[in-house]
Order: sequence, then C-alpha cells, then structure tokens
Amino acid sequence: MSRTRIVITGLGGICALGNNVPQIWQSMADGKSAIGPIDSEALHDVKTRVGAQIAELPDHGLERKRTTTMDRFSLLAVIAAGEAIADAGLEVTEANRSRCGSVVGVGVCGWESIEDSYRAILLEQKNRVNIFTVPRVMPGAAAGQVSMQFGLRGPVFAATSACSSANHAIASAADQLRLGRADVMVAGGSDAPLIFGVVKAWEALRVLAGDTCRPFSADRQGLVLGEGAGMVVLETLEHAQARGAPILAELAGVGLSADASDIVAPSVEGPAQAMAACLDEAGLSAGDVDYINAHGTGTKANDRIETEAIRSVFGRHADRLSVSSTKSMHGHCLGASGALELIACVNAVREGLVPPTANFREADPDCDLDVTPNEKRHRDVRAALSNSFAFGGTNAVVAVKSYG
Amino acid sequence: MSAAQGETNSLGQTILEKISAHAEGDVSTIGMDTPLSDLGIHSLELTEIIFDLEDAFGIEVEMNTAEAWENLETVRDIVEAVRKLVQAKA
Repeated sequence: MSRTRIVITGLGGICALGNNVPQIWQSMADGKSAIGPIDSEALHDVKTRVGAQIAELPDHGLERKRTTTMDRFSLLAVIAAGEAIADAGLEVTEANRSRCGSVVGVGVCGWESIEDSYRAILLEQKNRVNIFTVPRVMPGAAAGQVSMQFGLRGPVFAATSACSSANHAIASAADQLRLGRADVMVAGGSDAPLIFGVVKAWEALRVLAGDTCRPFSADRQGLVLGEGAGMVVLETLEHAQARGAPILAELAGVGLSADASDIVAPSVEGPAQAMAACLDEAGLSAGDVDYINAHGTGTKANDRIETEAIRSVFGRHADRLSVSSTKSMHGHCLGASGALELIACVNAVREGLVPPTANFREADPDCDLDVTPNEKRHRDVRAALSNSFAFGGTNAVVAVKSYG
Repeated sequence: MSAAQGETNSLGQTILEKISAHAEGDVSTIGMDTPLSDLGIHSLELTEIIFDLEDAFGIEVEMNTAEAWENLETVRDIVEAVRKLVQAKA
C-alpha cells in the first residue's frame, strides 16, 4: 500500500518579525533581525532586556469573554491558526468539523498566569488566585482554544518536547491524517516566554546572549528568547485536491529520535539519526536536499554539534547545501520554533529563496557549512529540512518538498 | 427610605460596580434587571465575582461553579442572594 501523501495548504504566523506570514517572510528574506530591547509588565524587574518581542498584537476580534480565559501563548496560537485556516481557504462546517483537528506544540505553557499567581499570593498577600489560572496555564490550552475558536471537533491535543515541540506537533498531526483519524489538521506551535520567571530560569542556565543571536558566527554568545506562534494547515493530498485547495508544498517526511544521553548537552548521533530518518521517510537522498533550516540556536555547543551532525548525514553533499538559522531574526520561540521555521522552509521551496543567518560576523572553523551569512540567496530549493532539537535530547526533523 | 432599603441599595451599588469591572462594552447600561448572560462574562468569571463579594462582605456563598450560572439570571439575583447571606450573618 502506498503511503498517504500529506500537503501543506495554509500558513499562519505571528512573532517579532511580523503579525502575519507575508510580513514574517518578507523580514526573513531581507535578513532583518527583530531582536532588540524588550519591555513589558510581565518582565517585572528581570535583568535580561534583549529578546524578540511582538511589537503590537493585531486586532484579533476575539471577545473578552474568550480572551479572559487565555494566557498569551493560547492567544498567539489562535491568531496564527486563524491566518492559516484563511490562507488554506478552509471552511469548517457541520459536515466536516469532526474530521478537522489540531495539534499545538507548547514548550513552556502559560507562565504569565503562573507569574501572576505567585505575585498575588506571595507579594500582594492575596488568598486566592485568578479563577482561570488552571485553564490559562495548562499546556493543552492552546490546542483547546484553537478548536473552540474554529469549531474543530476531530483529534485535538498538545505536543510538548521543549524546543522541538512544534515539529513533534506537526509530526503527530501528519500521523492523524495517515491513520485516517482526520482529513485536515491545523498544526504548529506557540510560546510566550518573555515572562520574569521564565527569563530568570534561562538566565540561570547562562546560555542567553547579551547583545543578539549570532548562529554559526565564531563570536556567538548564545540564544535570544522570542515569543510567537506558527501554524500550518495539513491535509491529505486527496482531500486537498477534492476541495481544490492551494497546495503550497508537500510534507515529505518526518524523522524523530532521542539522544538518551544528557538533559541539556546535545549529541551528534541523536540529531544525525533524526535527519537520516527524515530523509528515509521522505524518500529523499541527501543529494535531493538544497536547504536546511538549522536548529541554530547560537549557543557554542549547538551550532558546532549541529554542523557535525549535518556533515555526518550529508557527507560530501553537505558543502552544496544552503543552511541558515532564522532564529537570528525571530529569536528562539521555544515551542513555536519549528512552526515558524517551517514557514521559512515552505516559502524557500516555493520561491527558490534561502533566508539568511542574520547577525553573522566571523566564520567559525567548527561551523564550516554555507550558513548563508546575512544575505539571502536565490537558488532552486527542491526539498528543505527543518531541524529542531531540544533539552531532553528530543529531536524532530521535518522535510518539505515542492509539490507538482 | 428605610434603613434596610438603604443598605440594600448600597449593597446593590457595590455589587453593580464589581460586576461592571468584569463586563464587556458600555457598562453604564448595566442595571439590576440586566440578564447576566448579556454581560459578556464567562460563567467562571461570575464565580470569581462571587468570591470577590465573599471577601467584601465577609460571607460564604455555597455554590459550585455549575450551579452559579444556572440559578442566577440577573444582576438583581446576585444582589438578593448576597443580601440574604449578609442578613443571615447579622
């Protein structure tokens, strides 16, 4: 039996680069980093003041009755899902809603609400917290809110694996389609980590860059946190064709693996195994891939080890690959990362344009791939890989290829 | 106006203010007969308003969240429920 083909028919996103996919993609293509000074009430008196923050939320038209039940990460997920569904021209009706579902990757969950709760109890001496604390905080809230907003009554749940959550969500959504549990899945990720407690926790790890994120650059200092959400509409090729949907790209395959070694230190073998498994599932050979959107966090360890992993999988073809880390522009949006980076991959395939690694200054012999420094590159992109690795050693790689 | 009525009115005013703080849109149109379903308030938020009233008046309202929405229809219903509890306490 031939494997069910899965296609991407809609894209949605919101992050520091823009409030929708056209804005985000334009900024990515221009190599414009949105990392800069951050300020918000939720940061309180935290020291770190560099991040990738959404400048202003768009007019989302949601009722207060709904938004009062949501933490920011759920709101971002709903905004991105709305764009993706509209982009796909998907009409959810009584007849099809039980065949439409959603998987939303979340790495951090509703920390704005957690922060508010601790402050209320410990600082303001209140004896109870906001009544919506549980439904705001829970990692499954984003998927639930997306389902409520758009009437999706098929399989709906969260996927969580820290920084690879979105790719695991996309993988799991594709599984629902292949297993025949749904015809359409809205999948992606969301996180809103620019919160006092979360930033303090990342400060404690000493992996945050003081100025900006410079993936693969010899003078890189670490990652920069960002907030955002990305969503794609996935459907079986058969379903997309039957409804005359715009087919943006094919989700060619997924590769999942675990390092099973250390909770924070990455391995070469785990990511390499995930990339190889992804190529295998996609039926692609190394030479078929033209672009890798790297995990590329900008930490010393990740970028060196990811380079080694790519070389181990792609062999001599590694030097013909275009590689870039768009985290240099939208920051590390944790559970949303893979989804925002899939936007880059789909558009790279569609437009034959590789978005650059911004903020690059100095070549590093340990990161000797073509990392597309600072300037976009026009080239045919037949297939692209999007790498997501994570604390916990949970690796998830997805492949897209042009449809047609 | 009797002392009891005056107390009810002031109680009503306090409750109206607390409800208005959670409502959507033009709060100046909210009165005693406004249906709670017109306030754009989530049912759980109504429970939170009742918790606020417990704190403000030193009373305990025994109701679970499901009952809260079923048994109360208008702003006046809340005021009356609270008034009875305040009187019972006195």
